[in-house]
Amino acid sequence: MNKVKNVLQDYLSFPKYLMMHPFDGYDEFKTEKKGKLSVALVFIGLFALLRILTYQYESFLINERNPMLINNLQEIFVVGLLIVLFVTANWSVTTLMEGKGKFKEILMVTGYSLFPLIIIGYPALLFSNFLTLDEMAFYTLAVGIAYFLTGWMLFMGILNIHQYGLFKTIGAFLLTLVAMMVMMFLGLLFFDVIQQIIAFISAIIEELGLRR
Amino acid sequence: MKLFTLISLIFTLPLNFSIIRYNFSYFGDVIHSAPGLSYAQTFSERTLDTSLVSPEDLVVYGDEIFIISSGSNALVVVNDNFNLEASMTQFSQSMAYRNRLFEETNGLLESYTTYISDIVNAIEAAKNQSLDLITDLEFLDQADKDDYSNQINLLNVDFIETVQTTELPSVMAATQAQANAAFDLIVDAAIDQDKQIADDEIADAEENDLELPVYTPVVKPEQIDIVPQAEHLVLLEHQSLNGPMGLDVKDTGIYIADTGNRRILKLNHNYEVIDIFTEIDDVTFETVEFIPLKITTDSTGRMYVVAREVYEGIIELDTDGSFNRYTGVNPITLSPIDIFNRFWMSDAQIDKLPKFLPTSYTNVTMSTENFIYATSLPSENNSDNMIQLINPKGVDVLIRNGYHVPKGDIQFIEGMNNYVIDGPSRLVDIAIYKNGIYTVLDSKRSRLFTYDSEGNLLYINGEAGQQLDKFSNGVALAYFGDNLLVLDKELRTVIVYEHTEFGQKVNQAIEHHESGEFELAAALWEEVLILNTNYEVAYNGIGKFHLRNGDYEKAMEYFQYGYDKYYYSRAYKSYRNELIKDNFGYIFLVLLTIPAVVIIFKQIKKRKDR
Repeated sequence: MNKVKNVLQDYLSFPKYLMMHPFDGYDEFKTEKKGKLSVALVFIGLFALLRILTYQYESFLINERNPMLINNLQEIFVVGLLIVLFVTANWSVTTLMEGKGKFKEILMVTGYSLFPLIIIGYPALLFSNFLTLDEMAFYTLAVGIAYFLTGWMLFMGILNIHQYGLFKTIGAFLLTLVAMMVMMFLGLLFFDVIQQIIAFISAIIEELGLRR
Repeated sequence: MKLFTLISLIFTLPLNFSIIRYNFSYFGDVIHSAPGLSYAQTFSERTLDTSLVSPEDLVVYGDEIFIISSGSNALVVVNDNFNLEASMTQFSQSMAYRNRLFEETNGLLESYTTYISDIVNAIEAAKNQSLDLITDLEFLDQADKDDYSNQINLLNVDFIETVQTTELPSVMAATQAQANAAFDLIVDAAIDQDKQIADDEIADAEENDLELPVYTPVVKPEQIDIVPQAEHLVLLEHQSLNGPMGLDVKDTGIYIADTGNRRILKLNHNYEVIDIFTEIDDVTFETVEFIPLKITTDSTGRMYVVAREVYEGIIELDTDGSFNRYTGVNPITLSPIDIFNRFWMSDAQIDKLPKFLPTSYTNVTMSTENFIYATSLPSENNSDNMIQLINPKGVDVLIRNGYHVPKGDIQFIEGMNNYVIDGPSRLVDIAIYKNGIYTVLDSKRSRLFTYDSEGNLLYINGEAGQQLDKFSNGVALAYFGDNLLVLDKELRTVIVYEHTEFGQKVNQAIEHHESGEFELAAALWEEVLILNTNYEVAYNGIGKFHLRNGDYEKAMEYFQYGYDKYYYSRAYKSYRNELIKDNFGYIFLVLLTIPAVVIIFKQIKKRKDR
């Protein structure tokens, strides 16, 4: 019984508290080590699952996705990549900007901030199947609110974890965005170069094979 | 028999495989589909036994097919057995139009009457001159002289009659020349005979040592000059065409867009000219020449003309040829970046930018309700209004409720490519079938796309090629009863397509659907699905029948197959209401028990804690 209570505390009450009282909540999150990495990772996993389920089981009336093109691995990869990119970029930016947050804490904040998306997204996904086209506005509204709350939690989390002011946080977010783009660019460049090197090496091997 | 079928199958298999059989699914994928039309027969320049160099337009009126040819400048009429009925290059004026010309053109009547009398006088003068010369001949005896004179007189009567009966100045001029030549011939014969007699007499005299008769060679007088023609008499001549591109035939007459002569020719159904429109009274045509390309007319005879390098839209002309207005302008869409760029540019800079011109229309066809079906070229970034239905107010009202916007091919390769045909379809003509079904012709890939009035793509046909059932440069198409005619400019043939079993059933189902007979339509859609399981449109037809019947669950299933979200939602709403109505007791029970249970638990907890 106690165990169940603890789980509920970790997965529901504390994230809710974070959402409603971000300053107190994130203070406890950081100083009293109330945030748990496992919870954050589970939230990330649940978010990836939600995306897959939405792809397949969202109400027929607003689901414009081609069921033939579903790719679960790709969905998981997209979520993982986005989060890794954001966390790394934010960490690299905020270390230079005297942020007090650690890498692990940034990752945890990112995971926890997915809480509204999960807590609203799953029921909304279920209920979307019982709505008509006119009522679909409620579903889109719910999803919109979920995304807004996620943004709110992420913003407040970053603000508190690094102990920034309002404008510094906005600046940090913008710089994070830039850093993410730079990383993406470098990644693409890297892949392209690697591809060419591989092609070059395989050409050499082929040539050697032919000359033998 | 079995062997025969097998062998014939072997021969027809490649033929069957080569036919394009595809359609676009809801998600835009190319999927296999049955063709709605198949080759029935063909008629061409050779079978008609007439000259049909680069035919440009084809119109069906009643049970006759009219084809206009820009190479041989001819209007060709073909009957319903696909035999030649008439092929005309010259069109005479109708009496009424002639009288109007005499009334409206200054001095035309006067110069015309003087011209006739001048010609008659000239012919008379030539006759008299010839007669005088014949009577003056020395050796010819009187009987022969009378004979020649008679000949001349008879001819003279003929010529005068020709001049007085014909209405064409050119024929009069020709008759005069002819008269001169004919009289000259007779005179020559008379002179020759005269000389012959003289020679004979001289020889006779020499033999018998008689006195030699004196023969003085006859000197012919100068021929009478051809009467000069006043310039405006040309108006009365037969009218011929010069590279005509457009044609329309209605009860009010035959309208030809005579492109090379920069005019519109209006003929009555006896192929006589009843009007000619050249000048368009609008500011645009002060700088641009009026070069009509395609024409269509409404039931009252107002003309809708597509002209070259006119970007304002389709020119609407009144029945008397006066300019009314432009209708159906192709809108230009600027991208946000373009708008942003233009915002901070100076006027001089904007002038240097490439001009954003609306794309021009390629063809217009009038429906029986006086709505214009128009096809246009795709603009650089927008190919969505390549097919338009322009209402009398000038607004595009085409319904685009299908899976995709009606525009020919959905999937195509973008950008420059030397190996395959790229870019959106190039629609050049549109033909209207019954119940709002229409077919467009893509000249780029030689395909025919048939849509229904809602914008659903029904079937795709046609393939480029030189074989009998294919066309390489389609320029025009029209429905001839239930058959579709496609005019091929390059091969100078008309291909006749008939509906396949599949196509027939689809059209019939739509007809039933339009008239509200949903049950019959659903039965036909079922048959269509047997012929073509991939046919998503059919599921919607069946779904609508079930929806009407109150079989909501089944309707939902079919609408889901057919991806009709609007009707699915309607069916689902009714289904949900039904479900709630049937199970209201249970739902109410649950709604009551849950709060009750919660309250009871709380009470118990309170007691425990106390």
